[in-house]
Amino acid sequence: MPLLSEDLRQAIEDYTRRYATRQAALLPALHLIQERFRCVPREAIEELADLLDLHPAQVHDTLSFYGFFRDAGNPLGRFRVWVCRSLPCMLRGGEEILDDLCHYLNIQPGQTTADGAITLEFAECLGACELAPCLLVNDECHGPLTQESARQLVAQLRRAGVQHGV
Amino acid sequence: MTHASINGRMIQPKPGQTILQAAQELGITIPTLCYHPDLSPVGSCRLCLVEIEGWRQKVAACVTPIRPGMVIYTETPGLVEVRRFILSLLLRHYYDAGYGGRERPETEFEHWVRVYQVERRRDSQAQPRFAIPSDPHPLVWVDWNKCILCTRCVRACAEIQGRFVWGVADRGERAHIVAGLGSSMLEARCESCGACAAYCPTGALDDKMALGWGRPDKIVRSVCSYCGVGCGIRLQVKNNRIIRVSGDEQAPVNGLHLCVKGRYGFDYVHHPERLRRPRVRRYLLSGRSKSEATAAEREWVEVDWDTALDLAAEKLTQIWRESGSDALGVLASAKCTNEENYLMQKFARQVLGTQNVDHCARLCHSSTVAALSLAFGSGAMSNTMHDVAEHAQALFIIGSNVTEQHPVFGSMLRQAVLRRRIPLVVADPRRIDITEFATLHLQHLPGTDIALLNGLMHIILKNGWHDTRFIAERCENFEAFAASLEAYPPEKVAEITHVPVAALQRAAEILARHKPVAAIWAMGITQHTTGVMNVLALANLQMLLGNLGVPGGGVNPLRGQNNVQGACDMGALPNVFPGYQPVSDAQIVRKFDAAWALQPTLRSSDVSPTLGLAGKPGLTVTEMVHQFGTGQIRALYVLGEDLALTEPDLPHTRQSLAQGEFLILQEIFPSETSVFADILLPGVSFAEKSGTFTNTERRVQLVRAALEPMGDARPDWHIIADLARRVLARQGRYPAGPWAGWQYTSPSAIFEEMAALTPLYAGISHARLEHETLHWPVPDKNHPGTPILFVHGFPRGRGRFHVVEHLPPAEWPDAEYPLLLTTGRVLYHWHGGELTRRSMVMQLCPRPVVEIHPDDAARFGLNGTRQVRLRSRRGEMLAYVQITTRVAPGVVFGNFHFPGPNNVNNLTNAALDPVSKIPEFKVAAVRLEPVPEAC
Repeated sequence: MPLLSEDLRQAIEDYTRRYATRQAALLPALHLIQERFRCVPREAIEELADLLDLHPAQVHDTLSFYGFFRDAGNPLGRFRVWVCRSLPCMLRGGEEILDDLCHYLNIQPGQTTADGAITLEFAECLGACELAPCLLVNDECHGPLTQESARQLVAQLRRAGVQHGV
Repeated sequence: MTHASINGRMIQPKPGQTILQAAQELGITIPTLCYHPDLSPVGSCRLCLVEIEGWRQKVAACVTPIRPGMVIYTETPGLVEVRRFILSLLLRHYYDAGYGGRERPETEFEHWVRVYQVERRRDSQAQPRFAIPSDPHPLVWVDWNKCILCTRCVRACAEIQGRFVWGVADRGERAHIVAGLGSSMLEARCESCGACAAYCPTGALDDKMALGWGRPDKIVRSVCSYCGVGCGIRLQVKNNRIIRVSGDEQAPVNGLHLCVKGRYGFDYVHHPERLRRPRVRRYLLSGRSKSEATAAEREWVEVDWDTALDLAAEKLTQIWRESGSDALGVLASAKCTNEENYLMQKFARQVLGTQNVDHCARLCHSSTVAALSLAFGSGAMSNTMHDVAEHAQALFIIGSNVTEQHPVFGSMLRQAVLRRRIPLVVADPRRIDITEFATLHLQHLPGTDIALLNGLMHIILKNGWHDTRFIAERCENFEAFAASLEAYPPEKVAEITHVPVAALQRAAEILARHKPVAAIWAMGITQHTTGVMNVLALANLQMLLGNLGVPGGGVNPLRGQNNVQGACDMGALPNVFPGYQPVSDAQIVRKFDAAWALQPTLRSSDVSPTLGLAGKPGLTVTEMVHQFGTGQIRALYVLGEDLALTEPDLPHTRQSLAQGEFLILQEIFPSETSVFADILLPGVSFAEKSGTFTNTERRVQLVRAALEPMGDARPDWHIIADLARRVLARQGRYPAGPWAGWQYTSPSAIFEEMAALTPLYAGISHARLEHETLHWPVPDKNHPGTPILFVHGFPRGRGRFHVVEHLPPAEWPDAEYPLLLTTGRVLYHWHGGELTRRSMVMQLCPRPVVEIHPDDAARFGLNGTRQVRLRSRRGEMLAYVQITTRVAPGVVFGNFHFPGPNNVNNLTNAALDPVSKIPEFKVAAVRLEPVPEAC
């Protein structure tokens, strides 16, 4: 049984049509895979290489360049929470929010809660300085936040994550 | 302005030329590390930075095109400072654990560090960051502490070998080289060719066997002794020992590239089992007859050369007197040089007076030679390997596991597909490695090649895709042939071959729509009872498509042994003299009778007044072995051939050898056959002798002695000539013809004699080969050689279409023997395995393996058993199981690299092709049973 499902393969195939070569769809495909599996498993690398006429070593070369992609030993939680700590956010309390969430969730940046609901990370700049201090939940930006509103948001996410059985 | 200048010297830039290339043309050295001329430039190490007047920045010479008007400086104080800085940064992470001794050869990296007088910084790496070695590969040494991330290994694996084992992981501060997804090399599908090590500038990757040996005393250019590709090698020798084999960058075939056997399989030369002194059976010394000898009298006794050669000469002469010439047979060797093969057939024909001379080409491409002679009048690969790789517009590989059997050519073909994006159609019963690069894989049943090819040609003809002009101008017998294709509609062909109709249609279209197509084949086509007809069908296909006599097309049989082409060229065949001059032509026989004339005339025939040679072909190897058993052949003189391992139906072969009267075996190791020999003469390996090999593309290349012979062993040409002189003396005959003597002083003198009698080689000499590379035919001393055959016509005039019909193999699976067995080799072994089993390469494939499809594994209840016993009507074999979808359901695949009970030839069928007498190694019916672990 292949790991990549038919619909996922189709979604990757759709991307290949946007580019001059199949290989160019590698990054969007890796995103799709990580979105689905919360990491990029080895089997997925091998199947993706096959799909895009690449070799596993080439896929690995590209994906390991980006800290964004996780391997199967360190998968993302259901929600990836990125707290921005660049200058505008820092001046408006972003680092304190990050510290507080670490304390609240009892994890360090880069780690995932034991229930698998939330992965906490810091971001260098989310490009949403007008919302400083802000954070990103998967692809959705929230701000301006206080320590309290950030905690509330994360608490909600955690409940949702646990309910949905990560 | 049309010129540029480098360091004040003018140069006219060529289109596409880089500054580095221009500088090299002027003899100016610019230091480089990530650059290598064989690899695509990346410009990452920045060591080749140069200054250009008027440019603000320094640029990398390896990736910057040179343009008119540029004023370039390659070695200014500023550049020296930059280079020292770059080298010091590279040194910071570099850690040399100090192994290899003080005599270790300097690496490229160490060279530039020394030249630019760079010291290690105090904050440099004090501890190794990676384990030493960093990978468990048995042949390739890996030490990432020496890696400078030049990525030459990554590019070599991708751009030379086409395997993509290496990649860079975690690019950035922690960047490092990894195999696959961070596994070991072998898990990442490494083929152990060692290209990464060959291109590594720091010793992070190296040849494990060479570590600790220091610098060589001498480096000798020669030719690899494994396959017919004929790679040029450099034997690095120290104290009469080969310490490393590297690719010869000047070699026209391969450059620095080699395969695992060529690079790492040389240590057999020094194996302790090498024969060092002649041996004879004790009963020969005591004068007892073989049949009455006790076990003790059958033991070997080491003797001096005179004793051994006198005993051999005495017995040969006795049989020659008693039973005549045709009671004697000679087997030459495709592993030996042209010169030695020439002498072997001269020995048979002149000294013994028999046409009974043959060699192992009988078992590989005799059907090719016969068929191509029928179709075109010449039986060799028509185009060169580089021509095929560079100019073919499509490739058709049928019955050739090219990446394992001719690995360096296999990687050239991979690169042809990768770089030129040409379509590749592979027809093979197994999903062999090259199918990974194929546009289409036709997985036909073994033994259905004619149906497949006729089916493809049926479609081509129906669509009017054939080359009518080529057919009309250069071919004959087209109408009869075309009519015969009527009987091969796609539906029927699909039924016979198990290839779906749609795949047949698509394959036919690919082959027809691309011009030219190069057809490539090997044993999968030839080793059948229909071997000759299989090849005729391929000849038909290439005529039909007009793919002959043009670059990038042609008929391209890949020859197996390093010198099997040469052994055939030298006339080590029962039907032809050197250069394929037929023994059935009375004028030719008279020519050789005169050249080799002996006096006094003791025997004579109509066509051969002094030697008494017959004007008809002698016996083939399989026939000789059989008749040796029945007593019609009383003595065999065998050079370097392991009959008891490589013949089909080994139980019968062993029986024949056991019953035979007198067997002289000239070998470098005790072999399966030596058990049956009466006299064992120690010859030498390719590394200890000189001469020539002719590779698969008819390229004649010099082999140079790098070592002194082991012990008392002698170069084979020396032994043959010595034996000939002794036999002639006993016969009471002396040389009278111009080329009749046996007093050779060197292989080049033998070559000169051969060339004088062989029009194909007439213009070739050792002197020319020192500085030239020549493809035969070379009719005279000024001729440049003939890389592509059939350009202006076929030797027989018109190319002849032959009607060939599908015939089932001699044996087919049935209720009792339900599986179809096909045989072949694996990458890590060479033929009978006599060499590779005595080499470090053995570690990569230590056991006999049979490939079985998962369905069959379930069907026969293998349930995880590791070993199986295969039985055929002739014998049985014990092997380890490899469950894989490489084979189709109902088909099993075995190899013949392991002796005794592990040899697949215990099972194979000795049914012969009626024309070429090649046995049907590729199809036999077998059954299998699991073997309990305890056995």
